[in-house]
Amino acid sequence: MRAEARLSAWLSDLVGYLPLAILIGVLAYISLNAPNFLTLRNLELVLMQSLPVVLVCAGLAVVVMAGGDDVVSGGIDLSIPATAVLSAGITAQMLTLGYPLALCAVAALVACLVVGVINAALVSRIGMTPLLTTLAMFVAVVGVNNVVTASRRINVDHPWILALREAEIGGMPLGIVLVVMIVGTLFVAAHQTRWGLNLQAAGGSRDAAEISGINPGRLVGQSFVVAAVTGFVCGFFVLARGSGSSPGVQDNLMLEMVLATFLGAAFSPRRVVTLWGAVLGAVIVAAISIGFKSMGVNVFWTGLIKGSLIVVVVAFSAMAQRGR
Amino acid sequence: MERERLTLRHVVLRFGFLIVFAAFFVLFSVWNPVFLNGGNLLNIVEGSAILMIVALGLTLVVATGGIDLSIGIALDFGAAFAVVAMSGYGMGWFGAACIGVIGGSLVGLVNALLVVGLRITPFLATLSTFFIGSSVQRIFTNGGGPISYRRMPTEFRNIAQGDIFGIPSEAVIAAVLVVIYYIVLERSIWGRRIHAMGMQRSAAIVAGIRVNRILVLCFVTAAMTCAVGGLIAAANIRMFTPLSGFSYLLDAIAAVFIGAALHPRGRPNVLGTVAGVLFLGMVANGLNLMGLNFNTKDALQGIILVSALALAVAQRRARTG
Repeated sequence: MRAEARLSAWLSDLVGYLPLAILIGVLAYISLNAPNFLTLRNLELVLMQSLPVVLVCAGLAVVVMAGGDDVVSGGIDLSIPATAVLSAGITAQMLTLGYPLALCAVAALVACLVVGVINAALVSRIGMTPLLTTLAMFVAVVGVNNVVTASRRINVDHPWILALREAEIGGMPLGIVLVVMIVGTLFVAAHQTRWGLNLQAAGGSRDAAEISGINPGRLVGQSFVVAAVTGFVCGFFVLARGSGSSPGVQDNLMLEMVLATFLGAAFSPRRVVTLWGAVLGAVIVAAISIGFKSMGVNVFWTGLIKGSLIVVVVAFSAMAQRGR
Repeated sequence: MERERLTLRHVVLRFGFLIVFAAFFVLFSVWNPVFLNGGNLLNIVEGSAILMIVALGLTLVVATGGIDLSIGIALDFGAAFAVVAMSGYGMGWFGAACIGVIGGSLVGLVNALLVVGLRITPFLATLSTFFIGSSVQRIFTNGGGPISYRRMPTEFRNIAQGDIFGIPSEAVIAAVLVVIYYIVLERSIWGRRIHAMGMQRSAAIVAGIRVNRILVLCFVTAAMTCAVGGLIAAANIRMFTPLSGFSYLLDAIAAVFIGAALHPRGRPNVLGTVAGVLFLGMVANGLNLMGLNFNTKDALQGIILVSALALAVAQRRARTG
């Protein structure tokens, strides 16, 4: 009997590592078949490519931490990619009109904060479910951005924005250094400060948090504002990656954000969304996309591969959860 | 004085959404008298038919407590199977329509397998079905080009372009589905079971409701319903356009949740969904008649959507206290 229990615990532990093992297996398969995949230059490319997704994933992770990880009723912010695109659109349009970059950034920040505050008000004051709120806000913000940019592509060649892509600082690409700093700051804020611990308490058990004197509504509201700020920063990386703002970027960004963040949950021991998990998820998704592309796999297949990956990884983590 | 204000607030909150509905109606009719024209009102109903059908399917899944992000894929599959059955295999219109609905049901079966079999949450399961389904369409059409079939049988074209006693047939199909859905979901024992599991899943299991069987049936029925929407879309433009179903997803979600917010206990329900769809259809049509620039219209529509949802939810909360 005891041996049996031990065996089943051991099995479920094993199943728990499977999601990560599968992803590593996929990456290993890619690096065997695409010889230059594991070169330093290519890994750097993967990281650079993943930066916008990493930023929005970090924002989403903070919202999920505060609101709980039930996808439908808990915390989620689908509007971050739209906020990012709005930030990019406003900046690109104002730069084209000849305003200085600092002024553009301030205008974009204000617009993004407005989005964050509206999300916060609708969720914590009116009591709308985050999924619905942020989905509707996604539509509205993309609509506003299309007015701002007239749904046209706007080229940006401001040296400071291109620096996010090209400049290096001590041998490391500037963009990567900046994103690591931002994610690090968020990590410290969420794990080492009183605010962060309250935030996690609110997401872990809303009722328990309320009884111990925390105001979950306010924390949830603040998490949406934090997410909007990550969206604002992401806007500049979107501009740098695409040398400007183009319509339609938000859709792919949203799908990749959701994919990466919830894929990341499979890496955490308790199967919850974490900041590092989300960031790692974003990098792995970028690595897989680029990897299959450099293997010469038809681009039409990438959706199929990504979809199957969610199924496999999430199914195994659900199985491990049940075995426990 | 204090009482007066309280009652005014009460009235606004109790009938807030209706007031907004009416206000937009008046605004649009004053702005452009064409809006009130019988033909135009019929246009709104006709133009909302596909969204109505898709939103009905989604209502069913949301009533079980889940969500279905792959309804657009089911719509695409319905259109693709029907068009290919006619153009590639020379099938008759009725056979092709059946094949279309069966093709759509595959999407529901995959969802049911993932949700019930592998116990993946509906959000992630249907998101992966969405990814996979989109990719399958790209592979099948070699990148997403439309499959056109100009010599479609007239009977099939009539699914969208014909009329029954002067009423456009797509509106008739949507109305019939609304009635069926209303009877099943709101007036039958099956509907009670679905709502029961949506509200309190563990209580429903204890009460002996076969939750898994209901989930499978709901996912498959929803997908088949969306496939009917796909038949109409294909008949309308005489071709299958890959990935076109996605455009209905956000509107359908909005309609279902506007409808849920109108319900006293916040449950998704058929009549609420109908109200939500008609509201969205009216706003889109009215803004079009205002002659606004396409982008401005889009933005306004989004802002109206957020405000309407906020109002509907605030209204429900005020009512339930």
